[in-house]
Amino acid sequence: MASRTLSRPVLRKRAVTALLYAALVLFAVWVLFPFWFLVNSSFMTPAEAVAVPPHWIPEEPTLGNYSAILAGQVAPGGAQVGLRVLTALGESFAVGILTVVANLALGGTAAYSMSRFRFRGSRLSYFSVLFARLVPPIAIVAAFFVALRDLGLINSRYGLVVVYISFTLPITILVLKNYFDGLPRELDEAALVDGASRLQALWYVIRPIARPGFIAAACLVFLESWGEFFYALTLTNQLTIPPVLAGFRGFFQFNWTTLAAATVLAVVPPVLLALVFQRYVVRGLAQGVAK
Amino acid sequence: MSDRQFGLVLALPAIISLVLVVGIPGIQTLIYSFQRVPLSDDPATFVGTDNYGKVLGDESFVESLVVTLQYTAGYVLLATVLGLLFALLLDQPLRGRGIARALLIIPWATPVIIAGVMWKWLIDPQVGGLNAVLFEIGVIEDYKPFLADREWALVFTILAAAWHQASFSALLFLASLQTLPNEIVEAAKVDGATAWQRFRGVVFPWIRPMLLVVVVINVIYGVLQFDTVWVMTQGGPGDATTLLPILLYRQLFIFSDIGAGSALAVMLGVVAVLVSSIALILLGRDDPLQA
Repeated sequence: MASRTLSRPVLRKRAVTALLYAALVLFAVWVLFPFWFLVNSSFMTPAEAVAVPPHWIPEEPTLGNYSAILAGQVAPGGAQVGLRVLTALGESFAVGILTVVANLALGGTAAYSMSRFRFRGSRLSYFSVLFARLVPPIAIVAAFFVALRDLGLINSRYGLVVVYISFTLPITILVLKNYFDGLPRELDEAALVDGASRLQALWYVIRPIARPGFIAAACLVFLESWGEFFYALTLTNQLTIPPVLAGFRGFFQFNWTTLAAATVLAVVPPVLLALVFQRYVVRGLAQGVAK
Repeated sequence: MSDRQFGLVLALPAIISLVLVVGIPGIQTLIYSFQRVPLSDDPATFVGTDNYGKVLGDESFVESLVVTLQYTAGYVLLATVLGLLFALLLDQPLRGRGIARALLIIPWATPVIIAGVMWKWLIDPQVGGLNAVLFEIGVIEDYKPFLADREWALVFTILAAAWHQASFSALLFLASLQTLPNEIVEAAKVDGATAWQRFRGVVFPWIRPMLLVVVVINVIYGVLQFDTVWVMTQGGPGDATTLLPILLYRQLFIFSDIGAGSALAVMLGVVAVLVSSIALILLGRDDPLQA
């Protein structure tokens, strides 16, 4: 027998390798299994989705749930569900993109300043960013609620963007400052020697080189904004997609399968973004969050 | 313009923004916590520490505190230990490691609120698959509505949130492991150290600063968890999953008691800031990435 001719250390090593691969399979199940029935149901008719025992694969696959949402239709059994989901997805994109743009403009300049210049209060500025990073959003919601209510900005896209800057801007500044710190000062100095102004040096020299940092910050901010639930729940009337998904309640008043399709549509953009920019995101996460 | 002035001008927009969206709302919430705030535009009246007395004297606060501590303990343990195991596994030179690392990012990129929807779906006795799987392998004798049971509701709201957070922990651990110089591990191998000895003597000390960062972040996210509980149980059944943030939501938006809600918010905020400040001090100048 082959195994007799193998020495014990070799056998041990093979056993360990087999265990590691088994662990890898378990890990994949942990990640993917929760998605399975959701994605599965999103391609089913409402009647098939409640079959007992559940079908592991749709027997009569249908795109009806998706087409109802994407066409903004009234889904069978649910009033205006499709239209609400489509509108909310659009708002989520709008809020996310506006939040990213505001973050890059405000955070880019501030991070560059904190990386390169010392001025009266520069240490205080940096510590105030760190402090702002530590203030949990839920702790200051009351002030936002009263202020937006008095300004008539409850359920406003722009109101939500302003609120989202409170927890995203510190992340942007920390990620970008970290990135700028890694770029040699000689770059700025060479540009200045060549006759560029300090602003030109930032825009024409540093900005293009720091692109990976900007991509990382933009991704992190978009992900935070896309998934934010508490403020969207309390400061809007289901404006963006998270409170719309959470608001699907009393499941039997509409059909489950539309919720499944809506949830799939809501999870695809952030997952795709994270996968496409994986390298940037992971680096930004490690350096901006952990440092 | 001098360098100092230029630096200040660059940083100022972001600093002013943070004062407006973090500083002032923070101070305003602190003020509300000492006031009775009417629903209309009428001026608020100072009531001293009545709001704090009201929150702390309420027996639902004590119950909620206990549930929050249980929730946090389970969440931190699961999210941290699973994260560490995933990171150690994906640090091994296995085939398919690249795909596995892409998989790792998916639960983190999935918004917590959507993780809640998915797990609710997964464990639902009507449309989900978990009951079918457990039934088939003989773990349960009948399909169970898990979220109707006090203990299972707590377990599954923890699991859903930890599913997301374990990936976050793993990404940070992996970033730390990747900065560990290979020569050190190889040297330990040459000296005949077993895998466990290498972990205890080399790997663990290396990632300890990162472990502290991850645990602190997880503790704060645990204490402040709202999303999965809201979407899965709304705090129920009974008060079985009424975490402090759920209590805060009820004070502010169900009972419209801005004063009492703010008092609770201030306490949560102070705890979060204190915990992370202590961690920052403990960490000292240790760089969790040691790069």
